[in-house]
Amino acid sequence: MLQKATFTLADGATLDDLVKRDTNEVMLRVMSDEELYKLEMERIFAKTWLLLAHDTEIPKAGDFVVRDMGEDQVIVTRDRNDEIHVSLNVCPHRGMKVCTAEAGNAHAHRCIYHGWAFRPDGSFIGAPVEKEQMHGNRLGKDQLGLKKARVQVYGGLIFATWDIEGPSFDEYLGDMKYYLDQLFCRTDSGLEMLGPPQRFVLPCNWKIPGEQSGSDGFHTLTLHRSLMEGGVMGGTAESIYDNAPGMYGVDVSCEQGHSLRCLEAAQTFKMFSDISFEGKSVEERLAMLPPPGITKELIPQLFKNLSADQVEQLATIPPQVGGLFPNILVAFIFAPRTDGGSSGALALHTYVPRGPDKVEFINFIFAEKDAPEQVKRDMLQNSIQQTGTSGIIEQDDADTWPQIMRNARGVVSKDITLKYQALHGHERPEGWKGGGLLYPGFTKDDTQWNWWMAYYNLMAEA
Amino acid sequence: MVNYATAAVEKAGVMRGLVSTNRVPLGSEIYNRLLETLYDEAAALDERRFDDWVAMLEEDLLYTAPVRLTRNGPNKDRDVMRTMMHFDDNYSSILMRTGRLSKSAWAEDPPSRTRRFVTNTRVAECETAGEYEVSSYLYVERSRFDVAHNETLSAERRDIWRLVGDAYKLARREIIVDQSTLGMSNLAIFL
Ligand code: FES
Ligand SMILES: [Fe+2]
Repeated sequence: MLQKATFTLADGATLDDLVKRDTNEVMLRVMSDEELYKLEMERIFAKTWLLLAHDTEIPKAGDFVVRDMGEDQVIVTRDRNDEIHVSLNVCPHRGMKVCTAEAGNAHAHRCIYHGWAFRPDGSFIGAPVEKEQMHGNRLGKDQLGLKKARVQVYGGLIFATWDIEGPSFDEYLGDMKYYLDQLFCRTDSGLEMLGPPQRFVLPCNWKIPGEQSGSDGFHTLTLHRSLMEGGVMGGTAESIYDNAPGMYGVDVSCEQGHSLRCLEAAQTFKMFSDISFEGKSVEERLAMLPPPGITKELIPQLFKNLSADQVEQLATIPPQVGGLFPNILVAFIFAPRTDGGSSGALALHTYVPRGPDKVEFINFIFAEKDAPEQVKRDMLQNSIQQTGTSGIIEQDDADTWPQIMRNARGVVSKDITLKYQALHGHERPEGWKGGGLLYPGFTKDDTQWNWWMAYYNLMAEA
Repeated sequence: MVNYATAAVEKAGVMRGLVSTNRVPLGSEIYNRLLETLYDEAAALDERRFDDWVAMLEEDLLYTAPVRLTRNGPNKDRDVMRTMMHFDDNYSSILMRTGRLSKSAWAEDPPSRTRRFVTNTRVAECETAGEYEVSSYLYVERSRFDVAHNETLSAERRDIWRLVGDAYKLARREIIVDQSTLGMSNLAIFL
């Protein structure tokens, strides 16, 4: 299935030089190379499925948010028929931004330059001075609409791609759907975004946070050491390397580059609260340590929306963090609170390219729509304190990535390689019900290497 | 009350100055003491004296920073989105944050060098005796590592300071940042 690389950079480097499949290495220069960045925009961001928004951000007809697919800006809208559309935010007349706001409600988007107007579905309504045909007479009105992307809503998440005839969304998700359903499709009303996303820009290439989101669990021990010091991660500051229960579990991945770290709920929090699941039924486990975001009242909904196998996994060894290729991080974090609550934190990030040396970090924060208001309030606070702009977890990440970026520009350092050589090889734990490539035990580099293989495969396709 | 449970943009807030019309005039004794307190606070934070800073905080503290959103049309002035925040803290979570900074918080180790510039300070009396609304402009220059270029942030602070004994203590702060997409690569510093 793997093809030979189909591009050569100006200095002669090929994809096989950059991503070394025989030794599991990647040249550091991939993080700064401008030529490569242009190819990535064409071969990845203009082709694959990208996460843009959540349907609870645009609940009413006419609601819209403006987001980006790579460096192409799009308007995500809901029309009168409740259908969601994604259209390029570029006026076909002279290239002005049609929508200058980040969010709002409009039944027509009128370009402020010369007044061409478009419906929420992107179609052309008309130009001013209709009797003079200010839109010209060469093209029909049906050819003057905004360029449209192909849309798929999954668990309320709005994805889009420019590859109109390309792989289906199900093909893109592959074996990960079984696990993602446990996070996004588990309650009757699904998730709700609690407010507009947090946004900030970092001086680094999008692939630095991108590859970390391929389930780099290992960096938790050092970079996120303060989680152990704060007693949030099960270990303690003194015993981090000997006793790091949060590091053992089953990493799940697939050839599309997605991954999730599944961690035994009881084991992770042994140090925090001495919970034993020994001999307990699925119902009892869920009641003792419900997955983040799930309240006792919502537990019956899990059985209704998921298969028995999926609920059992969610009750025992739930997916907690991971990523979807190319630029999404998933964080469903158990977050016991000092005041005894444990509502947890639900967040998704996208890492949107802003040039070879800049990335926009967008943090979406969720709760289950049917959760009580106080639980939503607690989860919002918890997610803000842990993730995103001021989150204690990502403060440390956001400080690390730009320094990797800086190194990627050195004429000598750009040629060193990133090592993905701590590998398990996949192996199916006994009794495991889900599909995909499975890596039980201490978290290693396998899932991140799969991320690079997905990168390789897309970049190799002209 | 703010409804935190919906992403709907209609819950937007309009920028507005002081609520109370009982102004405390510039140059009066109370005004001068509050201004001095803001300067002392800026110095404590810039000098990373977090114990001194925490000593200036009330235990019922609410410390928040709503996100801004670029909006147009009839909603163009309603761009303070209190449904989502960059900071959503209280006294105990501030203690968690300052506690973390004394251990392995790589985001501030090595620490940033910061200057907080506090200006345009306006003061008014609250309905509760001994409490004052203090609105000020904040400009932060932040130098990281050996990077020659500072990260900056501008904001308005809406505070309530309470007279406790002979000192003013911070009971509420809302930080209205100006950028909808922050140019500062994290908020590991306090605003
Ligand atoms: S550029 Fe939009 S109407 Fe002319
Ligand atoms: Fe991290």
